[in-house]
Amino acid sequence: MPIYHQTYRSFDGTVRTTGRWWAVVTHEFRVLAKSRPFLLMFLMGYPQVLLRVLQIVAVDTLASNKNNQITQMVQSVMSLKITEGMFFDFIRLQAPIVFLATILAGAGMICDDLRHNLMDVYFSKAITWRDYVVGKLMTLIIIGMIFTAVPAMFLLLLHNLLAPSMQTIHDTYWLPVPILAFSTLLVVPCALGVLASSALFSSERYSAIGVFMVLFADLIIGQSMHRANPQLVVLAFPLALNRVGEELFFVRRPMVPISWEASIVFTVVVCLAAFWAICRKVKRAEVAT
Amino acid sequence: MFRFINMRRCSAPYGVRQLAAAFPAEKPCLIEIRDLKISYGDTDALRGVNCSIDGGSVGLLGPNGAGKSTLLKALLGFVRVNSGTVSMFGMAMPKHALDVRRRLGYMPEREIVKPKESAVSFLTYCGCLSGMNRIDAMERAHEVLNYVGVDENRYRKMETYSTGMCQRVKFAQALIHDPQLLLLDEPTSGLDPEGRIEMLELIAELGRKRGITILLSTHLLPDVEHVCDRVIMISKGRIAVDGPIDELMIAREGCIEIRVRDNEKGFLDALVSRGFSWRRLQTGTINLTVPVSTPARAIFEIARNCGTQVRHFRAVHQSLEEVFINAISDRNGAEKSPGEQTAVEPELSTAN
Repeated sequence: MPIYHQTYRSFDGTVRTTGRWWAVVTHEFRVLAKSRPFLLMFLMGYPQVLLRVLQIVAVDTLASNKNNQITQMVQSVMSLKITEGMFFDFIRLQAPIVFLATILAGAGMICDDLRHNLMDVYFSKAITWRDYVVGKLMTLIIIGMIFTAVPAMFLLLLHNLLAPSMQTIHDTYWLPVPILAFSTLLVVPCALGVLASSALFSSERYSAIGVFMVLFADLIIGQSMHRANPQLVVLAFPLALNRVGEELFFVRRPMVPISWEASIVFTVVVCLAAFWAICRKVKRAEVAT
Repeated sequence: MFRFINMRRCSAPYGVRQLAAAFPAEKPCLIEIRDLKISYGDTDALRGVNCSIDGGSVGLLGPNGAGKSTLLKALLGFVRVNSGTVSMFGMAMPKHALDVRRRLGYMPEREIVKPKESAVSFLTYCGCLSGMNRIDAMERAHEVLNYVGVDENRYRKMETYSTGMCQRVKFAQALIHDPQLLLLDEPTSGLDPEGRIEMLELIAELGRKRGITILLSTHLLPDVEHVCDRVIMISKGRIAVDGPIDELMIAREGCIEIRVRDNEKGFLDALVSRGFSWRRLQTGTINLTVPVSTPARAIFEIARNCGTQVRHFRAVHQSLEEVFINAISDRNGAEKSPGEQTAVEPELSTAN
């Protein structure tokens, strides 16, 4: 019998009842893998990684040869040294890429589903609004981590492999914690902000423009407030995040004179507000769970 | 329904209570709604709906804004219920919403489309959301797309689909997890006549041959007649009529459908002179209105006297359309009933 003459058949397989949000994550990644702009953005995120790899290879291999004349020159250049500051700078400089990639991936995540009436279909299946939100959020967080924590950990590992000594281990054993913490601090607010914008605006474009506008306005307000009261520069969100990063990596050259506690409080408030907006919008489509 | 009991874990002897639990006396209703009230702001969408559905194909009829879609959404847990209870498969909603949703499929009225994805990809995703693993979901996606008649177009992006194809994909996603109950909201809207018949045939087959319970919400009466064996008519948030279609389409009193041969004119003149009135239908059949207290035998006597041969004789049945119109008009009448007016008047007088 030709396949197109087959009649309706019952499904006798098994269905899982846990980890429903993972279905959302895997689907979003499949969709993104087919998106050329996103793949291009993905490539743009890795030149810095390549440069840092070269830096680590150069410094660590040259440093092992004391007779090399270039060694002293390399060791004298502060910016080339493999310190905690290098990892901080690496993650900090990846922030624009994380921001753009998150917008590219997440600006249409919720608004497109709402616009095309897909919520009714999704929530008629065995998922809750929490699964949906967690799935979307985790997708953006994983994307962010791919640009920050993952390469940073790789660089750390590479550094330890190329300069294997007790001194290197002593200098770097604590670095995974600030790397993960600072990456999370960059990625989570970014993901929540973009998703909140996607939930509040009606289309992908408006959502992306909305995020840019808010960030731009935030920076201007923060900078202008800075003249009135230096502590109010905390309102400039990227500067607040950097301040917390400096504290995490023990970098004693603060770019802005604000307290890191205030920065954390501001970040948490922004995250909670964004999360509330997302939940409110999605929960409107499904009230049962 | 047989429920397995682990004998070793039973501390008490295997008595009457355990037996009663193992072999319940009656199977729970698929859908049981009690005094369901839902409102959107000041507007009451459902005003005390009571009904139970236990299998078969049920048509949910009503004019626009009657509350059909709201009732379906209440069954899915998409709207907040003001009062009343909904239980499905013997489980209370919304407490067991996920368990219920595992067993039902929903085809929404509004157009759904994933513009940048193919039908296969979209259905696979729907299968994964239902808890299937990806391989099973993809296999099942192809099966249901075959069933609903989406051919090689299934690999095209959905933004290029016609309305009819989107409707088929929408129907396919409702079937992806092999539900026991299908909630279909206007499944034939936007389809051409041929597509509409095909869709109705598919729905009817699922109901009759596969034993899937179908709740079909529509305002198209022929769709319900084609698919369903029971109809629930909703008007202004209340159930106006509920019963099997065969019983609702009762013989209309004093109306007879007749076809005759030989001396038709003389026969009709004789009928008119005896107080009958007649109307010829496009099919050539004559609809006779019989005077009160005239037995049907009188028609045959007149025919014999006129030398006319009666070839077809049948009581005229009420159409579903007439049942519907009567139900709606009855409900409208009930809305303006004196009883309700007097209920308001004391309040007004008290206020004054």
